[in-house]
Order: sequence, then C-alpha cells, then structure tokens
Amino acid sequence: MTVIEIEGMSKAYKGRQVLTDVSLQVERGEIFGIAGPNGAGKTTTVECMSGLRERDGGVLRVLGLDPQSDRRELLPRIGVQLQEAALPDALKVGEALKMYASFYDKPADWRKLMDEWGLTDRQRSSFASLSGGWKQRLFIALALVGNPEVVFLDELTTGLDPSARRMTWGLVREVRDRGVTVVLVTHFMDEAQALCDRMAIIDQGRVITHGTPGELITQGRTESLEDAYFALTGGQAA
Amino acid sequence: MKGITQVIAVELKLIIRDPMSAFFALAFPTIMIWVKLRSGKPLPGGLPSVDANVPMLSIFVIGLATLVILPATLAQYRERRVLKRLLATPASPGMLFGAQWIAHMLMALLGTALLIAIGAIGYDLSAPADPGVVVLAWVLGALSLSGIGFLLGAIVPSGRTATVLGLSVFFPMVFISGAVIPRESMSGSMRAIGDMLPMAPAVQTIRNGWEGHAASPVAMLAMVGICLVTAGVAVKAFRW
Repeated sequence: MTVIEIEGMSKAYKGRQVLTDVSLQVERGEIFGIAGPNGAGKTTTVECMSGLRERDGGVLRVLGLDPQSDRRELLPRIGVQLQEAALPDALKVGEALKMYASFYDKPADWRKLMDEWGLTDRQRSSFASLSGGWKQRLFIALALVGNPEVVFLDELTTGLDPSARRMTWGLVREVRDRGVTVVLVTHFMDEAQALCDRMAIIDQGRVITHGTPGELITQGRTESLEDAYFALTGGQAA
Repeated sequence: MKGITQVIAVELKLIIRDPMSAFFALAFPTIMIWVKLRSGKPLPGGLPSVDANVPMLSIFVIGLATLVILPATLAQYRERRVLKRLLATPASPGMLFGAQWIAHMLMALLGTALLIAIGAIGYDLSAPADPGVVVLAWVLGALSLSGIGFLLGAIVPSGRTATVLGLSVFFPMVFISGAVIPRESMSGSMRAIGDMLPMAPAVQTIRNGWEGHAASPVAMLAMVGICLVTAGVAVKAFRW
C-alpha cells in the first residue's frame, strides 16, 4: 500500500529552482531513504511532505492527504525530526515528552515511551546536558509521541560518533518494526545500505534513480552503494 | 487550546531557570524601588514618593517582560529551530504564542506584586484610589507593550540581536516615559518627547488611577490602538 505519492513536485525559493521534478512512492512499513549531494533538495522534499513548506507544483499525497490543504488532518498522523532542530536548553527530557504529548488527541503514553527508549534515567536531565546521541534518541521519541503512521527523519546521524550512529540505526529499525513507515534523509551510503528497504537519489532537484540499495549497486555496475552513488550522480570521490 | 496549560507551565519553568530573566523580572525591580525610595523625600507637588514609584515601576516590569525577555525568547526559539519543530505538531500557533504571552505576563504580575508588597510593608504605600483603573491600565499597558515585543520577536533572527534591540528600545523608553523618573521631576521638553512614546499612556493611566485623578480616554484608546497595529503587523511579518 502506498503511503506517500509524489509526482512532478517543484519548488523555487526567490527564483532559485530547488526542486524541478521530484517523483517517488513510499510503501507502508518500509524505511525509505533519500540521498543526494548538499543542496540537492532533500530537506525541501521532506519539508514539503511534512507540511512545513508549500510546493509550487506537482502532486503530493501523504496518507492520501495533501500536506498543504489538509495540514490539520495530516499533522496528528505524522512525526518529524528536523535537521539541526533543538529544544530550549533548560527543558528537561520528561518535560519535553509530556508537553509534546499534550499537543495530540491520541498521544502515546509518554512515560512508557520514555521507558522504551531508555530515557527514564535521564528524565530530569536538561536538553543542553545530553550528548548528541541522546539528543537524537529524544528527538525520535518526540517524533513518535503522537502515535504517527509515518515519521520523517532528516540527517539523524550527522555529527554523531560511530558508536552513537550504530546505536541510532538500531533505533530506526525499531521504529519500522513497530509498523511505522520511515522516510530517512541521509548523507551516508553505508547508512542507506544498512537501513533502507528502498531509496531515491536526488540531484539538482530531481530524482535521478530509485530502487533497493542492491538494485542501485547493479545499476551503477559497482561494488558498493557508495561507488554506485558517485557513478550515478556523476560526482567524484574526494 | 490543547496543551496550553502544559506550555505555560514549561515556559514559566524555563524563565525561572534562566538566571538572567529571573534577575531582570524580580531582583531588578526590588533593587530599583529600594534605590528610589532611600531618600524618603516627597515629589514636587507633595505626593509621597512611594505612591508614584510603585505604579510607575510596575510599568517598568511589564516593559522588561514584554520588550526584552519575550522577544529574546521568541528569537532564540527561531534561531534554534524550536519554532519550526513546534510547527510540525498539531499545536495551534495561536495557542503557542498565547501560552508564551501568559507565561511572561505572570512573571510581570509577580514583579508587580513584589513591588506592591515592598511598598506596603516598607514604605507606607497608599491604597490605589481607583483600583479598577489601575488594573485596566496594567492590562492595557501590558497588551500594548506586548504588541511591540511580539513585533520585535517576530522578525529578529537571533536571540542576541533581540536582546540588544529590546534593551535599546526599553531603556530610553522607561527613562523618558516616566517609568523610572517621575514625570513631575522631568523638564517640560523631556516630558513632551516622552509623551510621544508608547509607554507614556500606560504610565499616566496607572498613576492617575492610583492617585484618583480622572483617566484619559485618549490614553486608553492609544494603548488599544498600539496593541492592534503592532500585533497585526507581527502576525503578517512573522517568520518561523
């Protein structure tokens, strides 16, 4: 069953074309990756899907709803982790979860969620005192607090040390195993290969290819997804 | 209005945890009133100094909360994408900003209560002649200055810029609008300039109410007008 459907989506900021033609489908229950160089339009794509930006043209349906005109119906059914978003420094873990839960009609039990994600020991820790990995753990929990059907995770592991990254991968799989569809924006091909059921590569505002990581490797006639990525985007390895 | 009590509670906790805002909102007015009432001399015209300073400084406290702390909070939330994250939840923006506003007003109310308590216990403060007008002046003053604060917070990109801008609006305004120096101690030309600033109607109305002089309907209308115009522009110009 298709959860997200995008056909020919475009978007310009102040005359600069960021998305020219983005088309893709995300199926229920999968981890769908969006990869591509900096400035390719990954974040803009996700922000349009989650109702944070308005597209200029094309068709976009998330759970059968238009994120622009049906924003109010859509927001309670999705969860979002934004790139470089933060919480107020002095806000404590438990307070953040409790407050975000209060925004939803049918929230998850935030105490249970806090427990499941291993945050209970840190419930009185301030946001500022958490390490990068724990901040991301909290953001994933916040994305899940409304019992969403789809979550959008934008560069979840950028800036994390290798062990925190590995730990975060486990968390993303856990989200999917709960039956939640995951849209994951990432820079890292090892991450895409390890996590994604299917993925799309966006370059200069269009989807240049999509498929399972294995299909992309075949397409690029390469050994690894990273080599395939460079072959397909025409980019050079440093 | 789902979640409004949660957000108010959280915002209040955050204000109290920030030593700067707590100092500004509570310790600062306490120090001010002590400094100002040390000499014990009545004002020109014979009014006991405390009866002018308590209502004046309550507008000072409102000014701090609305012109300095509120815009800094909003701008910092924008800078760190806290607002953007909230935009991705079903919480209504009206509720979020309403809750922000109420939390800052509660701080100002606490500051005002502190001023009244110090005035009454330590300096023999007279009861307000017309409590209704005093309350109305406080509320209208809070609304009009909040409008300006929201406008600042709506457009300023960073918390630091908002603090600098807020303070540079706040300080000249409190000094020449009669919120720090009683109007009767100021020169005529200073008073004339001060009367054109948006804090002046609040100071005049609250003092009139306290002393039992007739309140000016023009001053009250001015406050309503300032609130509507600034809040309207803030909503239009707001950047997440």
